Amino acid sequence: MKKIFFISLIIVSQLLLAQTIEVDSYVDKNKIGISDLLKFTLEISGEDVGNISTPGLPEIKNFENLGSSTSSSSSYSFVNGKMNSKVTKSYKYTLRPLNTGNYLIPPITIKLKQQTFTTDPVHITVIKGSTHPAPPTSPNFSRQSNASVDLSDNLFMITDISKTSAYEGEPLIVEYKLYSRYDIANLAFAGDTNFEGFWKEDIFIPKSISFKRETYKGVMYNKMLMRSVALFPTKSGNIKIPSLELNVDVRTQSQSFFDFGTTKKYNIKSEPKTVIIHSIPQNDRPATFSNAVGNFNISSKISQTQMKVGDSFTYTITINGMGNLKQFDLPIVKEVNNLRFLDPEISTSINNNKISGKKTIKYLIIAQEKGNYTLSSESFSYFDTSSGKYKILKTKPYNLKVGEGDLTYVASSGAQSIVNKEGSDIGFIITDSLLVSKKVYFNTFRYWFIWLIVLLFIPVSVLYSKEKSKLAGNIDYTRQKKANRILKKYMKEASKFASNDDQRFYAAAQLGLSSYLADKLKEPRGSSSDDILTELALKKFPVELIEKIKKLFETCDQARFMPGGFSQEKIELDFQHVKETINDIMKCKF
Amino acid sequence: MKKIMLLSLLWTICTSIFAVSQTGLTFREAIESYNNKDYQTSLTKFSMIENEGIINADLYYNIGNCYFRINEVGRAILYFKKALKVRSDHKAARRNLEYAFTFTKDKQESENENVIRSFWLKAFDSISINLIAIITLLIFIIIIMLICLMIIHYRNREKTVPIFLTTIFIFLFTAFLIISILKWQEFHKTDEAVLLSTSAIGYSGPSEDFTRVFTIHEGMVLTIERIEGNWSLIKLENGLGGWIISDTYVKIEL
Repeated sequence: MKKIFFISLIIVSQLLLAQTIEVDSYVDKNKIGISDLLKFTLEISGEDVGNISTPGLPEIKNFENLGSSTSSSSSYSFVNGKMNSKVTKSYKYTLRPLNTGNYLIPPITIKLKQQTFTTDPVHITVIKGSTHPAPPTSPNFSRQSNASVDLSDNLFMITDISKTSAYEGEPLIVEYKLYSRYDIANLAFAGDTNFEGFWKEDIFIPKSISFKRETYKGVMYNKMLMRSVALFPTKSGNIKIPSLELNVDVRTQSQSFFDFGTTKKYNIKSEPKTVIIHSIPQNDRPATFSNAVGNFNISSKISQTQMKVGDSFTYTITINGMGNLKQFDLPIVKEVNNLRFLDPEISTSINNNKISGKKTIKYLIIAQEKGNYTLSSESFSYFDTSSGKYKILKTKPYNLKVGEGDLTYVASSGAQSIVNKEGSDIGFIITDSLLVSKKVYFNTFRYWFIWLIVLLFIPVSVLYSKEKSKLAGNIDYTRQKKANRILKKYMKEASKFASNDDQRFYAAAQLGLSSYLADKLKEPRGSSSDDILTELALKKFPVELIEKIKKLFETCDQARFMPGGFSQEKIELDFQHVKETINDIMKCKF
Repeated sequence: MKKIMLLSLLWTICTSIFAVSQTGLTFREAIESYNNKDYQTSLTKFSMIENEGIINADLYYNIGNCYFRINEVGRAILYFKKALKVRSDHKAARRNLEYAFTFTKDKQESENENVIRSFWLKAFDSISINLIAIITLLIFIIIIMLICLMIIHYRNREKTVPIFLTTIFIFLFTAFLIISILKWQEFHKTDEAVLLSTSAIGYSGPSEDFTRVFTIHEGMVLTIERIEGNWSLIKLENGLGGWIISDTYVKIEL
């Protein structure tokens, strides 16, 4: 059953291909004088046109049908080793206008091999008098004086724009088409065309002269596409699409045998046009918007969802569609911990029409740790020009299962990731505060009291320094000051000897007492006891005290130098005496 | 007589210890409430401690956190500012203040701050007022020591080294004295305030009849320059000045 269906499909399609028949109609001129004749041509072309009787023209208002002629031509072409033949049958009707005015040659319906064809209507303007003779409409068009024909009717350029209004970034296609009824010898662009306010992508620039027959406003011309560009507006407002300028060499017909014909130069320009460019609305602009304008689809693909540690897989996001593909970035995939994302491969492929294509971002990811992971859904937003709204597309999330692998450790080869911040919040409260009330030291008495104390060091040190200098400058003063200390030293020694009943007690006592007195009296050390006593008398010491001292010195002398002068019983008593005497001396002023 | 004095002393010590432990208890309860995400209760408890007259940066910081959690950004900023007033080197409070600023409608920092100024401010804020007090005192002690040493020890000797050292320390002392004064002034200034109402309109004069100059929103830090009746002349960080109603803000005061 299926086979039959296929075979029948092939046969039908073959038949359809074989039966491509085209019907076209055109006039030699849109504008004629009332005294001129209009040539209306009906052309039927196809592989198998066969015998067709001249189609009768329906009655056309305001025109008189003067008769018709038929011509036929065939052409052969080889395409991919297959020969194609094409037969063209032309039926030329001569029409005479009856009145002046604007008229319409209605569509003509022709039935051919169970098919109905309808031609386009043709507008004709009939004016008074006569226009110049119309150039012939044969495939070559030439052999007619070019100079006498209105140039703009026979050689002109048209700017075809796909849209008259667009959004910023939305591509426009501009085609410059040359229409001619002359024999053109050479063509050249005159100067550069500067598309200001647009990002331009060339779609087509002709490399050689090649014309195609085409009817334009009911008249047959030779047409050539001169240039085709895709324009992406970069600013909003009324923006001019510049005209294209061409230098055209037109061959003139030879008038006589010796005239070989000349070429005539023309400079033609297409008319500049304006397009309205709307800016993309600022409101409701999604955060992920990256200037994509047009109409897109998003798709994502993952090579595997179950793997082992150390395995790698690819994750691809593709954006497909029409728009300013070169002017926006793809969403960057959020990295997942324990999955190592190698630098992605980003590619953009644009179709020949320059406005559609696809953008692909491909990641190679290595699973580094066992576990379940999720590649989150990525969103891509663009401005949809057909609805005039922002649209957000999302990829689907993928759940990955990474199992235990043979490789437990994956060496990081330089592409280590930096720890990323995943969120932000205020810091946590302090839980271990001592809750001590703050005291500002500057406001406390204690602090300034320390300052005062420190400051007091200066007068203290000044006083100290003065004392020190006094000591350094006066030996007697020093001796006087030190006398007490020396006495104390000797007395300490003496008391030690006294408690041991040692004879040396007397020596210590006498030496101590005499040097103390000598120091105090500013007498030289080692002065005799008599000298000291005389000096004491001079200083007006009490007589009893002098006597006491004298007696003490004598006792000491006796104990030290006289045999038997020392007795252990007496030593205690003498120590008491010494102490008493010293106490008395202390009470006196020197 | 002695007995009474002893008893009264004992009583004072006991009550003070009890008071401390009571505050500590409230503090722990507040932290527990915060951990349980009951921020309102936590706030009430922290505020109770504050009402006892305790001036403590950590406490203010915690109160600021509570306000932030219950979405009162203005009050949170006020308390973080208070914490920084007590201890300008409180890093956590500074961080949270900066974070809280990102939630205000108006941008706060003055934009074109130069490097030297920001460095100076950073250094100035990183030292607390008490640390400055101690450093100044120490330098003063060193200078006095050096002077004493010169008087006593170097009386009849070459004094180049001690004089040189003293000069250096006097320079240091002057610098720290200036910083101390600035710090003290900053600590005692009461012209800074935080806007607490959702928004306030600044007029060119102390009435709504005057021209509108600006609109500010909750959490804006402002400086009060003059008060006239119910209106205050304020100045913003970016230099804009205007009159706003005094009820809309609260001063940063301890």
